[in-house]
Amino acid sequence: MSYRRLPILFVVVALIAACTQPPTSGPSTSPQASGGAASTLVYYADVSDLISLDPAVAYEFSGVLLVHNAYETLVKFEGADLSNIKPSLATSWEPKDAGSTWDITFKLKSGVKFASGNALTADDVVYSLQRVIKLNKSPAFLFTDIAGLKAENIKATDASTVIVSMPKTSSPQGFLSILTFTVGGIVDSKEVKSHETAGDSGSAWLLDHSAGSGPYNIDHWTKSSEVLLKANANYGGTKPALSGVLIKHVPESTNQQFALEKGDADVARNLSPQQIAALQGKTGIVTTSGNSLLLVYVGMNATFKPLDNSSVREALRTAIDYDGIIKDLLKGNAKKVQGIVPIGLSGANESAPFQADVAKAKALLTQAGQTAITLELLVPTGQAPGGVAWADLASKLQADWAKIGVTVTIKQTAQADLLTTYRAQKGQLVMILWGPDFPDPDANVGPFTDAAAKSIAFRNAWDDKTIAAKGREAALITDVTKRTAAYKEITEYVLHNGPYAVLYQPTELFGLRSNVKGFAWNPMGWLDFASITK
Amino acid sequence: MIGVSVITFAISHVIPADPAVAALGDHATDEQIAAFRAEYRLDRPLVEQYVTYASGILHGDLGRSIRTRRAVSDDLADSFPATIELSFTALLVSIFVGIPAGVWSAIYRGRLPDFIVRLLALAGGSIPVFWLGLIVIGLFYYQLGWFPGGGRLDTFVAPPPTRTGLYVVDSLLAGDLDALRSSLVHLVLPALTLGYFSTAVITRMTRSSMLEVLGQDYMRTARAKGLRERVVVVRHALRNALIPTVTIIGLTFGSLLSGAVLTETIFSWPGLGRYATASAVSLDFPAVLGVTLLAAIVYPAANLVVDIAYYWLDPRIQRG
Repeated sequence: MSYRRLPILFVVVALIAACTQPPTSGPSTSPQASGGAASTLVYYADVSDLISLDPAVAYEFSGVLLVHNAYETLVKFEGADLSNIKPSLATSWEPKDAGSTWDITFKLKSGVKFASGNALTADDVVYSLQRVIKLNKSPAFLFTDIAGLKAENIKATDASTVIVSMPKTSSPQGFLSILTFTVGGIVDSKEVKSHETAGDSGSAWLLDHSAGSGPYNIDHWTKSSEVLLKANANYGGTKPALSGVLIKHVPESTNQQFALEKGDADVARNLSPQQIAALQGKTGIVTTSGNSLLLVYVGMNATFKPLDNSSVREALRTAIDYDGIIKDLLKGNAKKVQGIVPIGLSGANESAPFQADVAKAKALLTQAGQTAITLELLVPTGQAPGGVAWADLASKLQADWAKIGVTVTIKQTAQADLLTTYRAQKGQLVMILWGPDFPDPDANVGPFTDAAAKSIAFRNAWDDKTIAAKGREAALITDVTKRTAAYKEITEYVLHNGPYAVLYQPTELFGLRSNVKGFAWNPMGWLDFASITK
Repeated sequence: MIGVSVITFAISHVIPADPAVAALGDHATDEQIAAFRAEYRLDRPLVEQYVTYASGILHGDLGRSIRTRRAVSDDLADSFPATIELSFTALLVSIFVGIPAGVWSAIYRGRLPDFIVRLLALAGGSIPVFWLGLIVIGLFYYQLGWFPGGGRLDTFVAPPPTRTGLYVVDSLLAGDLDALRSSLVHLVLPALTLGYFSTAVITRMTRSSMLEVLGQDYMRTARAKGLRERVVVVRHALRNALIPTVTIIGLTFGSLLSGAVLTETIFSWPGLGRYATASAVSLDFPAVLGVTLLAAIVYPAANLVVDIAYYWLDPRIQRG
């Protein structure tokens, strides 16, 4: 046969192979994941943000989801309750006033093993926490800046006791909340040290491997394609019902919807409100939602007149049709939250006094001596949390504010560009989102009230030293009831005096196969895969 | 290459947004941003940044991606084979469908087959790839279930051991028939989608060249010699008509690479197009530069192949 005919043969073979494709009415079943399709959860999501699976490095939504399932932390929150800290690897912890420092003594649970079979000891805890500080990657500031820790502040006194000494300027309660986050994941120091190269603390290896004691291990991460988690045989808690979790990187939400309906996906992560509505009532499919801790808000920069006038800011807040945004634009996929602490965190203020009161807003403008105002509203491109285009949200605000004589020009720009402008205090009105770095009200109250923190308050040129001081004091209160009360007082003040119009707290939407049970989205941005069955 | 690197580097750095802010996000402190800029030498003068970058290229170092934090060369090595596999398959589809369709259309000029081919070619040149991809998935995956909806392999099929990064080749080398079947099947819809535009272009070019050649005197001579019509068309007409078509094929390969950006997103294809998009959106300059340089190598290489094809088609070109 002539070699010139090889390409034809190639096409013929391709077509024959295509015609012999098995029917795709159900998922394919080859044995890549242990146990195959029946015992593996197939999770379709856009995981393009995935950078590393190392708990000291991961700080993106996808990374956090995976690391959470491969590592355990000293303390944890249970389910969606982000107010009460519970034991995990530590059976007890107690902050004590040690004069110049807060000393927190952690007593470790005995008999815990890593996936490798190595026993978990205080040395592993010290190594893991110090490693975060030494590597100094994205989440390290939670230890160094928020908790004020240095590597030498973390010590083991025996095989089951670790003491962390914190400066008095930091909040012990805040630090405990930080420890529930993935940055507090405890790694198997023996295993990690055996993979160290060029003093990288094993970071190159942990990029796509795991060395934890959580319910799952990272089996492999094929870049831009998939991550496979396999059940950890040495996990000390309730054994996961599913032997594997396969995260497939599928950026296009239509594909996610199709795959879910065909049974190729068990979970579709990035569906729009319209797609969720289309799926409702279909056989074999259920839809569900989960809370998030995000807030979508408009910052009003006091550098630009008349936004320095608190009555003008109050008028802008008062004129917005929040109900219309939530019901019409977001199809109900959001909570009406107007305070700076999201519902779900202690100290959240559920008071939502503003709702499209045109007469009152006009009166406030008159009181401020303003009748015709022209401002620029900066908005990102793409989709806002909750599944609405940022541009649509901006148009809604433009229309609402036009009713009180405020003319707004919308300027849409890439988020990176917008942030550069916003950080430099050069945005007039800026619509953007915020999510707390750790599950504690201080993660919002600090940035929103303290201009010295060079975060949100600074970007809007709001330098109210009294409320900033109250925020710092509240963070240090150790009595939970008193702390919550202090935060409520602060959020009430910011509600009417701050340079913010908080628009809503979005909910997350999911499509599931109806045989998937035990799916509970945590507002921190993760799932406990171990509690899911199918 | 120097010109491409200078222009791309300059364009990348006139954008007002800060890549450090893009990478670290809303929460980063000024100190973190400063540290990041120092780590990636973004705080150095532009000329110094370019000299560092260019000297790195000479040593085979394309720098480190701001987004993935990996060596750009590693990222390209991961994503480029997927795109080559897809683009090459799409090109094969374009050639093996476009040329016969163009010939057929020319032979039946003004009749029903010609009308059908021209209509399909017109559609191929007009339909946006993104829309076509969604329609194709909706029909052949969602409705009919004939083909998978995305990715390079079935969900539970393990990739073959990496040798070339081309799954079809690697699974053949490994003798893994399951992976071979799966990778071929997964190529069908994205390759058809990506190749439709170039198929249309090749069809139209082949048709017009064939019409021109079919009217030449030597065609009448060939027929007068009593040659069979098939021989007349394939040996005498097509071979002469192929030269402009081959030129178009070379140029089309460039459009396949750019079309891959959308096709890869729709079909969850982990290739260079998707990597380039994600890099551009996150202002990942080293990655964007790496992709651009790679394209600057591939495109002339495709044209070199075209030049070689000229020699094969028309030996007189060697003497010219």
